[in-house]
Amino acid sequence: MNLTFADLGTGALRAALPLAIWGVGAAAYAAAKRDGRALASARWSALITLLLVVLAALAMVGALVTHDFSVAYVARNNALETPLFFTVISLWAALEGSILLWTAILAGAAAYVAWRGTPALPRLATTALAILFAMLAFFLMLVTTPAADPFVRSEIVPLNGNGPNPLLQNHPLMALHPPLLYLGYVLFSVPFAYAIASLILGEGGDRWLVATRRFALVSWGLLGVGIVAGSWWSYAVLGWGGYWAWDPVENAAIMPWLVATAYLHSVMVEEKRRLLRSWNLSLVIATFALTILGTFLTRSGVVNSVHAFTQSAIGPLLLGYLVAIVVLSVGLLLWRMPMLRDAGTVGAPLSREAIFLFQNVVFVAATLTVLLGTLYPLIAEAISGDQLSIGRPYFDRVEVPLALALLFLMGIGPQLPWHGASRATLERQFTAPIVAAAGGALLAVATGLGGAFAVLTYALAAFVAATVVQEFARGIRARRTLHGESASTAFANLLRRSGRRYGGYVVHLGIVLVAVAVATSQSKTVEVERTVRAGEHFDVAGYTVAFGGLRNVSEPQRDLLVADLAITGNGADLHLRPSLVFFPNATQAVGSPGISAGLRDDVYTILAAYDTTGSSWATIRILVIPLVSWLWLGGAVVGLGAVIAALPQPRRREVTHPLVEAPATVGD
Amino acid sequence: MGARRVLLIAVLAAAVLIGFVAVQNLASSAVYYLTPTEARDRHIAAGTAARLGGQVEAGSLRYDPQTRDLRFTLTDGTARVTVIGTGAPPSLLREGAGAVVEGSFASDGTFRATQVIAKHDEQYAPPSPGATPSHQTP
Repeated sequence: MNLTFADLGTGALRAALPLAIWGVGAAAYAAAKRDGRALASARWSALITLLLVVLAALAMVGALVTHDFSVAYVARNNALETPLFFTVISLWAALEGSILLWTAILAGAAAYVAWRGTPALPRLATTALAILFAMLAFFLMLVTTPAADPFVRSEIVPLNGNGPNPLLQNHPLMALHPPLLYLGYVLFSVPFAYAIASLILGEGGDRWLVATRRFALVSWGLLGVGIVAGSWWSYAVLGWGGYWAWDPVENAAIMPWLVATAYLHSVMVEEKRRLLRSWNLSLVIATFALTILGTFLTRSGVVNSVHAFTQSAIGPLLLGYLVAIVVLSVGLLLWRMPMLRDAGTVGAPLSREAIFLFQNVVFVAATLTVLLGTLYPLIAEAISGDQLSIGRPYFDRVEVPLALALLFLMGIGPQLPWHGASRATLERQFTAPIVAAAGGALLAVATGLGGAFAVLTYALAAFVAATVVQEFARGIRARRTLHGESASTAFANLLRRSGRRYGGYVVHLGIVLVAVAVATSQSKTVEVERTVRAGEHFDVAGYTVAFGGLRNVSEPQRDLLVADLAITGNGADLHLRPSLVFFPNATQAVGSPGISAGLRDDVYTILAAYDTTGSSWATIRILVIPLVSWLWLGGAVVGLGAVIAALPQPRRREVTHPLVEAPATVGD
Repeated sequence: MGARRVLLIAVLAAAVLIGFVAVQNLASSAVYYLTPTEARDRHIAAGTAARLGGQVEAGSLRYDPQTRDLRFTLTDGTARVTVIGTGAPPSLLREGAGAVVEGSFASDGTFRATQVIAKHDEQYAPPSPGATPSHQTP
């Protein structure tokens, strides 16, 4: 009998499950009894589990690449003519594959904690390892039961598969967006596991937080970049000229990111002032619970959206998991609350910690209002039986003011000292930014930006940008005076030696870019729809669009109906080809927009309708969207800032880790 | 102590204000989401914002490229509603396939759509007759 990739994958997953369960017990025992042999056993279990799950994921890739349609997942998500690239990334094209990927990342996190447990392994990290093993066991249970078994065999083996969803195989960004989101989601398990371990052990201190802040930062950065990549994909593939629709699943991704952002800031208050301990634990628990909620909403079919592709048995299981996590975490938190005393009180309203507190309140409010809007239709239907829908207007009206408030707080927070600011400090810190804000408002008015919100966004963006420039300028000046460095060396050293602080400022700059891009593109997009015959042309926003006619293009895996557009004006000379794409196994055509991206504006063209009888006319929709590219750029800058902040900094003094546990009976 | 109290009051006031704004907006932007049968049975008043989900009836789709008038019938197998919109239909909109329209009923019983959204399911095929409507990113 031949051993197939599917047999290999099934076997690996079934072998991994008992190993992970063993790991829970071994790690818990090692933590409780400080038993070195149990710890060694847990470590090897983590490593072997990781190898087995990676093997299973590779086996799935193998089954996809060899087009083994006896595997139901392969038959549903792959076809003989699917290009190799999209065949490989079909690993995460649908439910079972993405749960498998999720499991593999979680196994990686567990193995990392087991072998590199920061900074020394015993007790805290070992308890966290037991928790990670428990989560891993849950996901291995999912992929070895029919709920999400990726290797279920087809009853009848088809000669060819369905191929991936056309929307998913239409753009290479699909290779980037889901794994980034999963990495962001799953890596947050590590701070969560440490937080829970700290509660179980009753440590009450900040050790869990110090040990995992880099993990939190990295997963936050990946999640943020993943969200921006998702907006980009939506913009480039869905053909509606937009990038954010407050779709339930977009909301599911933004909510944990918002809470994690609040957490990354309030962590600083705990580190510097030993305040907000129980608050930080609550934020970590909330972030983690929201990542599971997001998966539940996406994968249960409970909320309808473009992403909510599946209605499967996995929904109730994920809901049970979510409820268990929330009940256990909140119970633990309440039980340990008396130990989580703060070391003092928050200072004056104009102190850095007070602004962080305000900022945290706004972030949590933004999350809760998004959650409310997302779940309201469910609640309303449960109570009154009416099917309702909450659209963009709600989210825009509520979230835009909150976002502006956050932009404002982002400008003033870093400019205020801890404990409180004097009048002289306020004048020194805010003169230049206030002048810049006035300049920003003037710029918005001069460029004809409509609406108070857009003008306010420009003013606040300039305000924040000025504070960042001011901070860098001061830092560079200080280094030049102290160390006699050149300006560029001083700049590099700021980023290298004080990466956490200055990386944070780089993140702020990225957010400024995003804010400017959103405000400008939302208020100044020009949209025109025209029906034209070959040879005709029309004008839009300074561009002249000439329609050259329709033609058919055949590719191995698809057929295209392409509209040839020649676009001139504003110094551009473009050829765009918006098209309709027909996949052999799909009943409907997919519109594929023709986009010319630029720093000044994007020209976005859609083949909206055409003459099905003689191809004599076509309806072309054109959007000229200013500064939309700055949104992706801003996302990249946020990611860059996160990398700078997360990079290990050269040690200056040996007092930064006063909390490393003394070596116990369990050695490294 | 005074500073702490000022801060606490400010935080609470902010939270209450945000909550108030959210609930206000929630009530005003909730839109009925109906099938044609439900719309008929409930006598939705003309001008009330609504979302309507159903299937585009075979043979009913008309689009005039010159006037940009779009017209089709949405059905759930029991009741039928004439939908009138402006502009080319989305590329996914086909006869027999699912669609969601946003807008409101006119006094003559037709539905004036401000937005037409085609819908598809995971297998990228039209939904089966009688399937409940579902949202989709436009």
